[in-house]
Amino acid sequence: MTLNRRTFTTGVLAGAGALAAGFPRFSIAQAKAKVVVIGGGAGGATAARYIARDLAEKIEVTLVEPSRAFTTCFFSNLYVGGFRSFDSITHTYAKVGAGGVALAHDMASAIDRAKREVTLAGGQRLAYDRLVVSPGIDLKWDSVPGWSEAAAAVMPHAWTPGAQTRLLRAKLDAVKDGETIVMTVPNNPYRCPPGPYERVSMFAWQLKSTGRTKTKIVVIDAKAAFSKQAVFQEGWEKHYPGMVVWMDPKMHGGLKAVDPAAMTVTTDLETIKAGMVNVIPAQWAGKIARDAGLANESGYCPINPESMASTVDPNVFVIGDACVPGDMPKSAFSANSQAKVAALAVRGALAGQQVFPARYANTCWSLIAAGDDIKIGGRYEAKDGKITALDTFVSKPGEEAALRMQNYEESLGWYAGITADMFG
Amino acid sequence: MAGGAARAGMVLRAVAALAAPAGAADAAYGEYLAAECSTCHLRSGDFKGIPSIVGLPEADFIAALRAYRDRSRENVVMQTIAKSLSDADMAALAAYYHRLGTKR
Ligand SMILES: Cc1cc2nc3c(=O)[nH]c(=O)nc-3n(C[C@H](O)[C@H](O)[C@H](O)COP(=O)(O)OP(=O)(O)OC[C@H]3O[C@@H](n4cnc5c(N)ncnc54)[C@H](O)[C@@H]3O)c2cc1C
Repeated sequence: MTLNRRTFTTGVLAGAGALAAGFPRFSIAQAKAKVVVIGGGAGGATAARYIARDLAEKIEVTLVEPSRAFTTCFFSNLYVGGFRSFDSITHTYAKVGAGGVALAHDMASAIDRAKREVTLAGGQRLAYDRLVVSPGIDLKWDSVPGWSEAAAAVMPHAWTPGAQTRLLRAKLDAVKDGETIVMTVPNNPYRCPPGPYERVSMFAWQLKSTGRTKTKIVVIDAKAAFSKQAVFQEGWEKHYPGMVVWMDPKMHGGLKAVDPAAMTVTTDLETIKAGMVNVIPAQWAGKIARDAGLANESGYCPINPESMASTVDPNVFVIGDACVPGDMPKSAFSANSQAKVAALAVRGALAGQQVFPARYANTCWSLIAAGDDIKIGGRYEAKDGKITALDTFVSKPGEEAALRMQNYEESLGWYAGITADMFG
Repeated sequence: MAGGAARAGMVLRAVAALAAPAGAADAAYGEYLAAECSTCHLRSGDFKGIPSIVGLPEADFIAALRAYRDRSRENVVMQTIAKSLSDADMAALAAYYHRLGTKR
């Protein structure tokens, strides 16, 4: 290795920092820098792979993730609609491990930021020079009166992936023609702004495909407007006339309670007896991030938009759904994009790699019916102290069928692309 | 025609070398920009719904991005991305993806 000005400077700075903190990590020549990544989802898996790429002799990356197989939330609605198999949205970490990332299949139970150490549920301790935190969201179990973690077995959320997604599909299959389906949707911010409405579309697609068109899907929304609203509503009228009843707070007056035993949903307006209820509760950053003091009063973790470093600790990067993403939505695309900004900052700090200005992008595709796919997206930069949208776009009502079909093809390509980016 | 495009490519590469931070940074700069592409365009070069961009002739690569930037080519996602790319950026990306093709 040639000693250039940059690696020299980095070494001196890191050494000084380490001494000040009382941990002479860099005192042994050639010691590898240590990176721990918490969470093997859209943000964490991407970050781990991008940090480790071609730098195995300089940086040791450990990915902490309890699951050995990761089922994506993205495209889980397409599983519900019958467009994807469960297997096709489930991925292993085999290639992540083969790509130079050490895997610790465990839960991180604590972060000691002063010591720069992560403790795992199994007791193992992992020291770090830089930490990337991407635990996604936790559900607020008490945000819907009458609902709870136990009640999710009866009224599924399916907002974290896996067993809940299968349960949701099983419940949908059991709905009898003419029974009502109710979905409750939280206020912003939450994971995947268009997700609930794509899910409504996939419910309707399944019902229509199986001759259950007398069933109504009632959406009790906490918001007065939603992502891609004009094109979703146009699509519902076109493909599923009369089947979707979307209610904003002015119409239902507020969600009062759900009753899992009676299978009812009560608003200020009425009590609805349902054949199936999908409760999408309010959310906040994964517990590990909140416990480490990385979140603010919003329940999410503020970051520096130039690097994704936490505003409370420059050695810690928070990416994905757990962060305060400025103008970006909480999406897998965003998490993947943020991961690359964080990865470059980490490589710059620990391996002397040249760091360039943060670039962010997002596109979210949603399927309304077979071949009818819509999209919303944009590009973002660090500006005015946050991740700021520069150019945005959204599908428009009345677009040609060929364009919508092309969107669908594109979404399939995106899924293949991002999952290869995450898992190899 | 082809000669003109190739010359344009060379000029652009020269521009890239000037605009992007110097020397070996060229490759690093291409890799940095390319990270944005690989969310959708597979680095394996496979087609699964989104066209492969691995191993494309550099002039074609640049021509496609310019067409998105001036909106003569349709696709709102690519138009949005291309709008953020300078000629030098496009040249760095073209060189990066060309090299990636020869590595495989
Ligand atoms: C129905 C639905 C549809 C969606 N559709 C799309 C879509 O079409 N496009 C799109 O871009 N996005 C979509 N999303 C959003 C997308 O799934 C999330 O935004 C994305 O997964 C966020 O990535 P993340 O890394 O923040 O969290 P996640 O992907 O959830 O990953 C977090 C990981 O951290 C792990 N973890 C948590 N705590 C710990 C701990 N203490 N220790 C170790 N590991 C821990 C978890 O096990 C998990 O694997 C959708 C979401 C839903 C619910």
